[in-house]
Amino acid sequence: MIDQEIVAQKRAAQLAKRHRAESRFKWFGRLSIGFGLLCVLFLFTDIISKGIGAFTQTYINIEIPFDEEKLGLTPQSTEAEIKAASFGSFFKKTLREQNPEVTGRKDKRSLYALFTSDAPLILRDMVLADPSIIGTTQTVSMIADDDFDTYYKHSYGRDLPEDKVIGRINDFQVSMLNKFVDAGVVEKRFNTIFFSNADSREPELAGIKGAIMGSILTLFVTLILSFPIAVATAIYLEEFAPKNKFTDFIEVNINNLAAVPSVIFGLLGLAVFINFFGMPRSVPLVGGFVLTLMTLPTIIISSRAAIKAVPPSIRDAALGMGASKVQTVLHHVLPLAMPGMLTGTIIGMAQALGETAPLLMIGMVAFIVDTPASITDSATVLPVQIFLWSDSPERAFVEKTSAAIMVLLGFLIFMNSMAVWLRKRLERRW
Amino acid sequence: MSKSVRVGGHISRQFDEELDEIRSRVLKMGGLVEVQLDKVLDALRDGESSPIIDIEKVDDEINDLEMQIDEECTQILARRHPAAGDLRLIIATTKSVRDLERIGDEAQRVADMVRHAMDRDASKKAFKGLLSLTEHVKEFLHETLNTYARMKTRNAVKIMRRDQEIDSEYSRVVRRLIEFMKKDPENIADGLDVMWAARSLERIGDHCINICENVIYLVEGQDIRHQNVDEVKEQLS
Amino acid sequence: MNTAINNTMSEIAKETYQTVGKPLLDSPKMSIKNTNVFYGAKQAIFDVNLDVGHNQVISMIGPSGCGKSTFLRCLNRMNDTIDICRVDGQLMLDDLNIYDKKVDVVELRARVGMVFQKPNPFPKSIYENVAYGARIHGLTDNKVELDELVEKSLQRCGLWKEVKDRLDEPATGLSGGQQQRLCIARAIAVNPEVILMDEPCSALDPIATATVEELIHELSENFTICIVTHSMQQAARVSQRTAYFHLGKLIEVNDTSTVFTNPEHKLTEEYITGRIG
Repeated sequence: MIDQEIVAQKRAAQLAKRHRAESRFKWFGRLSIGFGLLCVLFLFTDIISKGIGAFTQTYINIEIPFDEEKLGLTPQSTEAEIKAASFGSFFKKTLREQNPEVTGRKDKRSLYALFTSDAPLILRDMVLADPSIIGTTQTVSMIADDDFDTYYKHSYGRDLPEDKVIGRINDFQVSMLNKFVDAGVVEKRFNTIFFSNADSREPELAGIKGAIMGSILTLFVTLILSFPIAVATAIYLEEFAPKNKFTDFIEVNINNLAAVPSVIFGLLGLAVFINFFGMPRSVPLVGGFVLTLMTLPTIIISSRAAIKAVPPSIRDAALGMGASKVQTVLHHVLPLAMPGMLTGTIIGMAQALGETAPLLMIGMVAFIVDTPASITDSATVLPVQIFLWSDSPERAFVEKTSAAIMVLLGFLIFMNSMAVWLRKRLERRW
Repeated sequence: MSKSVRVGGHISRQFDEELDEIRSRVLKMGGLVEVQLDKVLDALRDGESSPIIDIEKVDDEINDLEMQIDEECTQILARRHPAAGDLRLIIATTKSVRDLERIGDEAQRVADMVRHAMDRDASKKAFKGLLSLTEHVKEFLHETLNTYARMKTRNAVKIMRRDQEIDSEYSRVVRRLIEFMKKDPENIADGLDVMWAARSLERIGDHCINICENVIYLVEGQDIRHQNVDEVKEQLS
Repeated sequence: MNTAINNTMSEIAKETYQTVGKPLLDSPKMSIKNTNVFYGAKQAIFDVNLDVGHNQVISMIGPSGCGKSTFLRCLNRMNDTIDICRVDGQLMLDDLNIYDKKVDVVELRARVGMVFQKPNPFPKSIYENVAYGARIHGLTDNKVELDELVEKSLQRCGLWKEVKDRLDEPATGLSGGQQQRLCIARAIAVNPEVILMDEPCSALDPIATATVEELIHELSENFTICIVTHSMQQAARVSQRTAYFHLGKLIEVNDTSTVFTNPEHKLTEEYITGRIG
């Protein structure tokens, strides 16, 4: 029999020790969370600060007199005539006339370079859309060149040291900019081009619409293929397959596949789909096939977990009522497992959305200026687009890259919150 | 087929203790009833009523014990939900306790009658035969209590057979008393007292038989009341 | 204490497992002959012979792991779902050999319904729970008939008054006792001949238990009921016959009144008086 007092003392000492250990543990946890949050914050600030600029675009408003004589067109001209007209020299001529003080060859070229190289095409499209403007004078918001745009957005009006100035712009162009600003014709607008154009060599004309469409088509193919296959596999393995060496072997392999580097799936896709079956390169169909291979294990594993989580009492209840195995699965197990399966699928899809490596292997890294309209059109996807732009030398692509990353992150966050929402919404308590 | 009721202790040792307590109280009660009869015997042997003066105290004690045991049995029924052997033990015990209490009452009555007669200086002749009847009944009761303590059916059947001996001895005593009273009307008062005492002794024997029947029910699970002894023996063998 | 247990075990091993009491009946609803059940190499049920009477309640009691649930699950072949479980012997439901290869378990389970330990209503509406059996077995031709069937089944389980205004609400919102009665309503909706109950009240409070027991009593007029329970009092209250299982052997079958006042076998006596675990 130990003396009560000694016991109490010992207990108190032990208690203090335990409290210390507990608060230490709590603080470790808090520190790790803090560190994690800091990293995320850093990432987001970096990306947002770099990429926010891409959502605005500089425009220069200029008066364009669509002179019949200079263009050699009348309002009655046919489409072919309009297409044949030289809008390039017309635009340059207009610029020279509006800025008579520009004389030197070099300065003239610098003047033209303030505007996007697609300026003549933009004018031609205006005329094509409405030939009646020929003979009138229109105010056109002309897209500024990427260097000019970059300079105006980031360096203009700021007293920056030489090495901090971004935007390749010469002194003459600076003086022109000042002139334009004084005239009040320069303005920044929300960058709709970024969302309505596909890729382009010219940063001011490059957009992510093509990549987004490519991603959507690819994911569509992936979803259509992987969800039914994975769910069917999971149901078979969980509910019907006998438990033997063979099914164990399959299970181990599925788990292994989930850990295989994705680039290997790309190589497999290249070898099987493109080289063996002769499917076209760079198309969402093949991309979808490859991503299906990659996401299948993820969805199968989470679907199996969801099926396993269905309480056996429900199966017993259905079987006890005389439901057949298939009825039991379809009427009871599947509805209960569905939220889990969908969550797994969305997470798999999110993974597929962010995947680059396997798509590089099957040629979805190509430079494609058209927005794909079907799964057999050449296309690229968002992460590959990011990869492409990050490789481009133009300063303006840096912010496009970050902007595209923001869009991609937006999609991922959206999909993951969908997963959380679905789980909350559909999961039943029993 | 013979089974032992005590097939090993309960998981709840407290339950065992409660049952043991009840059993020992029943035996204690039986002991007190025996004490009553012993006092009567002493009085008869000595021919004086002094040993039976405080007999009522014993009867009070017996009544207290009866109530205690009944209460304990009620508690066990309510709280333990006894089954099978345990249930039969409780049922048999409540019944036996009632019989024991009656035996106590009858013993008290015997004592009262004996004292009554002695106080009137009744003739020694009146008591003739009563001593031996009391001795027999006392032995009979002792055997019965032993049977209850040991839970032996064979003993119980043996005892039930011996009830006839008590009955015939009682008849003899009654016949003698009739003769005794016929001789002289003066004797009638004494004779009646002794007659009542003998009657009570015979009743004690009947209650002993009831207790034996309870023991058989408790051990064998068979209700053998209102059957003759030979049938019973055949059933149990 | 240990030696006592060893003794009883060795004693049992020497016996030929001739069930004592009255395992056989004259015209049984179900008749189980020489039945053995194995889990892999382990034998769970040893040579059981038992008849189940028409519209009778028979209760099966015994310590945990004695095989009473396993035995019960043989009666509607719920053990089929366990890969390693093997049943041999002759199990008859009237003239139907339950383990005959030609027997369709779906058909069998429609005739032999089951109620489980934990109330397990489907996570659907109350109505759908009761209607489910009728739907999968195609018992009703139209909505009106189905409505009638649901109402009748709920009424027989004394649940109609409690739930008639909320048939569309999820069954999981009911109390435990109501859920269990719903499960019984669900089982009787397909009009089985035999209802198996695997410890149907072990998750319920005493009042709900009493309600279910009363229901069992009422149902026994029309159904044959086999109930596994580890409440001996429950067995005593609801059943006409009681079977005692011990280590996979059917030790004793007798009228409940006999088993609880004067069991024949020593092991039965020990179990019901609380002398072994």
